[in-house]
Amino acid sequence: MPAFMASATVSAHLSDLPNYVQGSGHHNDPLNETQRSGASDDPSHGVHPSDLPDDPPKDAWRSDPDDDPPDNPLAIVLVDAKTPAALEIQAIIDVLKEQVASERTVFVKRRMEENTQKLFDVTKNLFKLSAERNPKINGTDQAVDLLAKRQKDAIDMQNGISTSSGDSDGNSPQEDGYASSAILLGSSIAVKNAVRPIKLPEVKRLPPYTTWIFLDRNQRMTEDQSVVGRRRIYYDQNGGEALICSDSEEDAIEEEDEKKEFTESEDYILRMTVKQFGFSDVILDLLAQCFSRKPDEIKARHEDLVKEGNDMGFTSNVNVDGSISSYLDKNLDAALDSFDNLFCRRCLVFDCRLHGCSQDLIFPAEKPPPSCCPDAEKDPCGANCYRLVLKLESDASIRSPGQGTSEEHLFPPSDASAQMPRRKNLGLSVKMRTKSSQSDGTSSNAKNICESSDSEIRPPIEVADAQPSSSPPKNKLVKRGGTQKRNSKRIAEHMLVSMRKRQKKMLASDSDPLESGTLGFKDLSLQSNSRKENGDESSSSLKLKSPNARRPRRISPALDNCKPLQIETSGCPPNLVMDNQPVIRKDDTSRKNDLLALGLYQHEVNDDKSWKPIEKALYEKGLEIFGRNSCLIARNLMNGLKTCSEVFLYMNSYDNKLISQSGDGANALIDGYYKVDGKETMGNGVRRRSKFLRRRGRVRRLKYTWKSAGYHSIRKRISERKDQPCRQYNPCGCQSPCGKECPCLVNGTCCEKYCGCPKSCKNRFRGCHCAKSQCRSRQCPCFAADRECDPDVCRNCWISLPCSCGDGTLGVPSQRGDNYECRNMKLLLKQQQRVLLGRSDVSGWGAFLKNNVAKHEYLGEYTGELISHREADKRGKIYDRENSSFLFNLNDQFVLDAFRKGDKLKFANHSPDPNCYAKVIMVAGDHRVGIFAKERISAGEELFYDYRYEPDRAPAWAKKPETSGFKKEDGGPSSGRAKKHT
Amino acid sequence: MAKIALGCEPVVGSLTSSKKKEYRVTNRLQEGKRPLYAVAFNFIDSRYFNVFATVGGNRVTVYQCLEGGVIAVLQSYIDEDKDESFYTVSWACNIDGAPLLVAGGINGIIRVIDAGNEKIHKSFVGHGDSINEIRTQPLKPSLVVSASKDESVRLWNVHTGICILIFAGAGGHRNEVLSVDFHPSDIYRIASCGMDNTVKIWSMKEFWTYVEKSFTWTDLPSKFPTKYVQFPVFIASVHSNYVDCNRWLGDFILSKSVDNEIVLWEPKMKEHSPGEGSADVLQKYPVPECDIWFIKFSCDFHYKAAVIGNREGKIFVWDLQSSPPVLIARLSHVQSKSPIRQTAVSFDGSTILSCCEDGTIWRWDAVANS
Repeated sequence: MPAFMASATVSAHLSDLPNYVQGSGHHNDPLNETQRSGASDDPSHGVHPSDLPDDPPKDAWRSDPDDDPPDNPLAIVLVDAKTPAALEIQAIIDVLKEQVASERTVFVKRRMEENTQKLFDVTKNLFKLSAERNPKINGTDQAVDLLAKRQKDAIDMQNGISTSSGDSDGNSPQEDGYASSAILLGSSIAVKNAVRPIKLPEVKRLPPYTTWIFLDRNQRMTEDQSVVGRRRIYYDQNGGEALICSDSEEDAIEEEDEKKEFTESEDYILRMTVKQFGFSDVILDLLAQCFSRKPDEIKARHEDLVKEGNDMGFTSNVNVDGSISSYLDKNLDAALDSFDNLFCRRCLVFDCRLHGCSQDLIFPAEKPPPSCCPDAEKDPCGANCYRLVLKLESDASIRSPGQGTSEEHLFPPSDASAQMPRRKNLGLSVKMRTKSSQSDGTSSNAKNICESSDSEIRPPIEVADAQPSSSPPKNKLVKRGGTQKRNSKRIAEHMLVSMRKRQKKMLASDSDPLESGTLGFKDLSLQSNSRKENGDESSSSLKLKSPNARRPRRISPALDNCKPLQIETSGCPPNLVMDNQPVIRKDDTSRKNDLLALGLYQHEVNDDKSWKPIEKALYEKGLEIFGRNSCLIARNLMNGLKTCSEVFLYMNSYDNKLISQSGDGANALIDGYYKVDGKETMGNGVRRRSKFLRRRGRVRRLKYTWKSAGYHSIRKRISERKDQPCRQYNPCGCQSPCGKECPCLVNGTCCEKYCGCPKSCKNRFRGCHCAKSQCRSRQCPCFAADRECDPDVCRNCWISLPCSCGDGTLGVPSQRGDNYECRNMKLLLKQQQRVLLGRSDVSGWGAFLKNNVAKHEYLGEYTGELISHREADKRGKIYDRENSSFLFNLNDQFVLDAFRKGDKLKFANHSPDPNCYAKVIMVAGDHRVGIFAKERISAGEELFYDYRYEPDRAPAWAKKPETSGFKKEDGGPSSGRAKKHT
Repeated sequence: MAKIALGCEPVVGSLTSSKKKEYRVTNRLQEGKRPLYAVAFNFIDSRYFNVFATVGGNRVTVYQCLEGGVIAVLQSYIDEDKDESFYTVSWACNIDGAPLLVAGGINGIIRVIDAGNEKIHKSFVGHGDSINEIRTQPLKPSLVVSASKDESVRLWNVHTGICILIFAGAGGHRNEVLSVDFHPSDIYRIASCGMDNTVKIWSMKEFWTYVEKSFTWTDLPSKFPTKYVQFPVFIASVHSNYVDCNRWLGDFILSKSVDNEIVLWEPKMKEHSPGEGSADVLQKYPVPECDIWFIKFSCDFHYKAAVIGNREGKIFVWDLQSSPPVLIARLSHVQSKSPIRQTAVSFDGSTILSCCEDGTIWRWDAVANS
């Protein structure tokens, strides 16, 4: 900013700035007034002095510098303080404003000149191009260019030259061409008589529509799509002129808007004025008036500015440092922030359009077991794999126990092969291992879980057991509830393995003299196949950790270090957890003590100072995901941070501590452990219940349906379906079986698989156990509750792989058997019919079917934007005006709007006697609209369904002669679609 | 519209005519009874700089400006559908340089007329409602862009008849699109405006391969993988009412609403957050009695002047290269009382045409300053 502002007095300013001052008396005050009255957006009211007529803008700034403004009458009126000081301040502010304004004009002028310069080049280029477009006129087809010819003819005509009749084009318009050349001198000869027009053959126009985007799944409306609070202007189709239609409340909203930021010039004036006169209320008021803002805004801004000014000197360096900070310096929660915010745990995609970002994080009370990647467990994962390191160590420890722990560099040459692709060196490494392993006999025994403490190779049973899991690793991250059943056995296995590893580790690291003693013993006992011992060992650690697993993840940072083993608990299949619960409760207090002690212990003993918080947190996550598999953890989570052996050491150093601390309470868990181990994949409890249900089901179907599956809320919805719209489901975060305060219960929805509550929650929808009925009738509890079956929830409903692709191979797992195929998952699986869009036989566009379908067949989904009822009401008004609406009532919170986004089924017309019906169905926690065939429909038929207008809202043509019971008569916000194309 | 912050005021032009240039009516035609909505000189091909086209009703007419205020009719085309009402016309050309006329209107069908052969070249069916404006890419004049009531802007290749891109969807206009314009030098960029009171700037940079593909497409046009451009790179709320005309002035944008003024503003985009940014309103060009919508202004080839008619048949000629704005001339004629929907300025700015609601065409010629 110019230096002149440093001068001390008003008069100095004025004399310094004669050019800018002149106008302030006359021109500037209107400005003040208009700004105050909020009319400054109207340019004709003199935002700028140059507006005044007879006062060319340039001159306004340059003329007559003598008109000093100190006794500015208007200023006195506006400012109540009539003190000379106020006048002085006002004058200064005016001067500053003038200055800002003049700088602005200079700025604009400069920008204009720059742009003009740019434009000059642009148009030059364009001209060149336009001149290049006519070389072809000399080509052979020159005669064809009738436009050029007529042009020439006209000129000739004007020049009085009789035109030669170039008949080359040989058609009649040519003659007209000459007639048309009748010169139209300033007169009004009707043109249309002069030229014989060339006809443009008619092309059939399309029925009107608004450009729409195809959606294959619903989307929630984004904020900027809202019409609420926005002024809409419509025009009368006939009159053609605009009329503003908006509710007064809306206008009010619009005016409020967001607070403007201070502009540079405002800051400048503020700073300068304060510098001049100090900070006082008078100045505040005057400035507020000048900026048309509130005094307190100014005050706040001033404080900001002062702060900024102070910071200016020395903060710059600091900022540079701060900006470089990478995620490594954060803790895991911070680093995962975007994941938590952007990843939808329900749809398993980033940036989910349906549930939006920044969803409430729901952490399940029960976590799935860690996944195991079988083939990764046989071979060393790389040069730094703990297996290789350990092997060396164990060899070494036989010879000289107590040797150092990290010996990555001592690999025998043959180990280099470990770095090669796993498959290749499999044979080799196995051979190697058998050589080094003390008891290859046991390790090859598939059924025997116990083995030599020395063999870090997972026993084959482990591999066999961890059958190819159907869900990809990505899913496992999130789909905590899904994999439990399948993994229950693996978990048991896992505990053993991890325990074995731990022992191995202890032996190798030999860091704790106390441990080494026990280890010797354990080693022996293991070799004698003492299963009990194994259980003991694993359960003790398990035991210890289980409390943590029940804690919400978010609270845990403080306990971060105590968590490494929590996965083992969460790894337990649900029934195991349930069985264990009493025990856990009992031990609660002692556990807490343990944890506290552990924390201390860790601080003392932990030599892993090099582990950053984020690495530790990552490691813990790794435990959750992969279990105690340092290879996988290192490769997938710690890549570039820690090597496998480091992870392994870290893992075991924890275990040592844990074991040394935990002595008791293990036995109870062993029971649970054995139970699981001894069982099949499915727990007994489930089996029993299903039998029970079947029996009941034979007696009374409907009752069975409701009692067994429909818990309180759903029953209500079924019985009251005709009267009440569905309730929007939002997952609850309850960490214990839901009680009265559970949001789901309060809201009247069932708990779903996305809720945090344990599976035992009474409010959970349990799915169905149908087998033969294929879930196609109301016998199926899901069907009866207007829900689709969910493979994660229902017992027998499994996704049969692409049956719609026609290859006939149903991917139903054999153990499901019976060729059973659930018919109630069509929306989930997108098994829709091919729908065609065409001109309707009735009006506008219509939807047609490509193939024959049977009664009750699912045709497709009606997709659209999810909008609130309030929004829908506003949009409805607009749509009614256009006599076309694509609104569809979804539930108590949302309405589907397919106006701009949707699919072809939005074009299905209304009919009081339809061949389709629409049904709101709950699919995986979301309400969706399915369109079903009401009767057999043959290929090519147009689709109609009853929009189910509310009686009073339906347009005349949509009314049915007699009121049918089918019609929704509820008083809900708006039922079904309001109107559509005519 | 938000209040203008201190220090960001636009420079507003004075309505006092500088009398830099004088224009006189040299011709007046009555083309028909139906309103004329558009008039356009051919700036695409230097051979035809004196040729212009008008549309009104179901008719497209081609004229030539001759010496001495004379206007010759060269061609006339009539849509067989009497209900067609053309709203807009633009000159384009084939890749072989043949002159094309592209017109559209209430039917939503884009008519591409081969003026060199005096026959229909192609008809583009696709817009779901009427077409409010068509503009031609000056750098590649076989690309045209159309603005429609169906809330979309579409990019077409008139040579192959392909709809290449559709600018609509999540970030698109929420009401009729009234006007659209190609950036004069940045071939990827267009600006559109409409009844949702916004001006949106779109970039087709990421989709340019499709544009190129459209030139070599040999299969049916309907098989072309038309893409949606759902998000503009910039949205400006400069106006608080319908924005019915916008044109690029270099990197700035001239736009007008029904507020009796044309606004010149600079889009200031934020580099890393597309769609956001602010509009710096630099200058304003008052146009009295211009408060109805669908009144469009036009510029001469070199963007030296903008010419706009008003509701009462008067014409304002604004200097576009001066700051503060200078009104070059204010044109009025006792008999010109009907709203002027569109004007056209000849290549050098010496001739101004206006087409009116009452179906008349007025020709004004600059009078040599003595």
